Amino acid sequence: MLPRKHDLFFYPCDQCHESMEPNPDIRPLNAMHDSTLEHGRGRIWCLSCHDLENRNYLKTLLDELVDIDEAYLVCGGCHANRQKDWVFGAHGKRIANWQGDRTLYNCTHCHDPHSPAIKARAPQPAPPVRAGLELKHGIDHEKTAIWESQEEHDEQ
Amino acid sequence: MTVIRFVIDGFREMFRGPREYWIWLMTLSVIVLFGAWRYSEQLTSGLVVTGMSDQVSWGFYISNFAFLVGIAAAAVLLVIPAYIFDRKDIKDVVLVGEGMAVAAVTMAILFVIADLGRPDRLWHMIPGIGRFHWPVSLLAWDVLVLSVYFLLNLAIPFYVLYSHYRGKEPSFRLYFPFVVIAMFWAISIHTVTAFLFSANPARPFWHTSLLGPRFIASAFASGPALIIITLQIVRKVTSYHVSQSVIDLLAIIMTFALQISLFFVGAELFTDFYNEGAHAASIHYLFLGLGGFDSLRSWIWFALALNMIALVILMIHPLRRKTLTLNIACVLTFIGIWIEKGMGLVIPGFVPTPLGEIFEYVPTSVELSVAAAIWALGILIFTLLAKAVIAIEQGKLRHHAKDVKYSS
Amino acid sequence: MNHDGGKFDEARRRFLRGLGMATATAAAQPAWGGETFQDAFADFFQKDYRRMSTEEINAALERIERKAKSRYEVEIDCQNTPPQPGVVYGYAINISRCKGYRDCVHACVKENNLGRDSQMQYIRVLQLDQGDFNLEHSDHYYEPETVPVEGKHYLPIQCMQCDDPPCVKACPVEATWMEPDGIVVVDYDWCIGCRYCMAACPYWARHFNWTVPEIPAEEMNTNTHYLGNRPRPRGVVEKCHFCIHRTRKGQQPACMEACPTGSRIFGNLLDPDSEIRYVLANKQVFRLKEDLGTEPKFWYFSD
Repeated sequence: MLPRKHDLFFYPCDQCHESMEPNPDIRPLNAMHDSTLEHGRGRIWCLSCHDLENRNYLKTLLDELVDIDEAYLVCGGCHANRQKDWVFGAHGKRIANWQGDRTLYNCTHCHDPHSPAIKARAPQPAPPVRAGLELKHGIDHEKTAIWESQEEHDEQ
Repeated sequence: MTVIRFVIDGFREMFRGPREYWIWLMTLSVIVLFGAWRYSEQLTSGLVVTGMSDQVSWGFYISNFAFLVGIAAAAVLLVIPAYIFDRKDIKDVVLVGEGMAVAAVTMAILFVIADLGRPDRLWHMIPGIGRFHWPVSLLAWDVLVLSVYFLLNLAIPFYVLYSHYRGKEPSFRLYFPFVVIAMFWAISIHTVTAFLFSANPARPFWHTSLLGPRFIASAFASGPALIIITLQIVRKVTSYHVSQSVIDLLAIIMTFALQISLFFVGAELFTDFYNEGAHAASIHYLFLGLGGFDSLRSWIWFALALNMIALVILMIHPLRRKTLTLNIACVLTFIGIWIEKGMGLVIPGFVPTPLGEIFEYVPTSVELSVAAAIWALGILIFTLLAKAVIAIEQGKLRHHAKDVKYSS
Repeated sequence: MNHDGGKFDEARRRFLRGLGMATATAAAQPAWGGETFQDAFADFFQKDYRRMSTEEINAALERIERKAKSRYEVEIDCQNTPPQPGVVYGYAINISRCKGYRDCVHACVKENNLGRDSQMQYIRVLQLDQGDFNLEHSDHYYEPETVPVEGKHYLPIQCMQCDDPPCVKACPVEATWMEPDGIVVVDYDWCIGCRYCMAACPYWARHFNWTVPEIPAEEMNTNTHYLGNRPRPRGVVEKCHFCIHRTRKGQQPACMEACPTGSRIFGNLLDPDSEIRYVLANKQVFRLKEDLGTEPKFWYFSD
């Protein structure tokens, strides 16, 4: 599994938080680093995953400390099925070898935990046609859903 | 040896004739050479000079191939009445028909070779030193049956003509078994060609059991059409006797075949359009256009109209018996079936692609030139063969033992 | 008859010797379309892959490397890695993860030395409306600002490596066949370019070199396989080969490596603990055109 620590700009979190008083109250936060949470639609907040006292660590639902490189243990607390798929290879990115030792991408490689939805991006170019030929665009289908044409039917 | 003399005399006869004959040969040769020159472009740059693409990967060449195999098969329509029913009038012209079969098979094979990406690797098909994927590959079957048909239609006339050349009658017991084989073989070449297309469930337009019968029916309409025209030309430019009863018989066969052929078209249209599903996309594209693309639509309706007009003419007895109207029907049938069985068969098989894409095909000038050259070469071969055949059959070319000279 | 005695014979011997040397030199010059005459001669008479002896295959590999040097000015390494025993490859794509980026398409182009000018692509991604699985309604040429477009879903299609491949049946010279590890391969030096296999394929997976593939020298992948991504000639058919030069060494195919969303799953169908077997056992998988009986080794699922 590929580690994440070296990808995290602010790690280790202790650098700043050592000097700050821990505050367990649930409240809206604004901070030096981006702390908007687009995850869970208000059902979780920072200390759902981050440990209050040990800022370099995350924690599970049962308050077990989790190293940042093993963040999947935290994700799996709520997303158990997805985690199982990830362990067995049906979810997530793996690189290098299909045989022998596998190289897995951590959850947080693809999903920013503070905004896990995959963002839209530009696609790579459309396929070309054979050299010397031109692509002609046809007429797009009038694709109406069955229920839309059904309403027209009923109105008649 | 006499047989060498026969071949030499035959060739000399082919290249001897009046001025009009030489102008005809020269004209055809010019077309052949022009096409050969354009083919060299294809050899240098690759098939990119054609209009084919990954989407429509077979085009004008294979269209002509499919049509010509039908013409070749139709020679059997003369063979059966001549040898099985012993009709003297047909027997007089059967060799001309077999000459046409040889020319048609040659053209068909040349169209396939012209279509190949690597014609330099043709030897890969030779069994033993290459790998011939027979009996699994339908294309291997087609190569096999066409080659044998070619040899049969060369060997049987060769023997008959050689006998006549020596002033003898050919031994019936010797050649008749081959004639029987050739009869069944003629049906097989066209059925195998149909199966080559219909074997592919990937292409719903072709994947119909009706394709084999459609091929035979349209071959038996377009073949006689060509033979009727050709025999009249032979009758006109040579003094060779072509009995009107031959023309009559062929015209009747053509009428029945065209009726059946058009019935089959109707059956296809009903089956595909009554409950139209995705498998009908190709026929929809052909007859009605699809997604705004309709480059074949006018062609197929035109072809259908030609065939229907021809059928009306043929079904009216006085019109079928009149030379002018019969010839019009023949020309209309020939062109109509060439369109329907050529581009009208091959291209819609690729539109839409198995992934639902509509990409159209237009033949380029290279394809048209090479095709014209192959047709010209076929007509040239037929002309030369007919020239020799007629000379022998008219008794003008005979082996004269006493003329044999020895070089000093 | 002229008998000039010794002087004539001497002159004749010298002439013939010079002629012999000139011929040998000409044969060794790279004049025959960039190849030496010896190579062109050997190429022409090259046997099909499955009948070549080890020496003949090695000689063919060397010829391929020499040809790549003269045509593209790149030193490539052409190998003939055999299939691994006990391995049959399978592939699955999670179509609810695919966002239509086409990263797989272009990674494949680079990895497999696909012709840029001849515009060859082994993978095609289809954009379909949500709720629609009719391929005839698909858009192959989508180029929106961003993907995924709302209300659309994406379907990448490539060679299915069918277990009962119609293309293998179609080939008149047996230039394409299924290897023991399940990959349907093409012997590019044996293919005659008749394109019957392209007509037979229900997945539009086979593509043709209408012209000589143009590969920029600096982008050439030099790690190649005879049956895979070594530079191909024109006039022959080619297709996805599951990155045979990588997978036979235990590496993932390039398309799987490239996919940013991890939608692609590849592995050994014969290994019950593999990722692909987990997918087949635990997900609602389907295959395209299942009713044609081609038995593709390429599945799709969504979750």
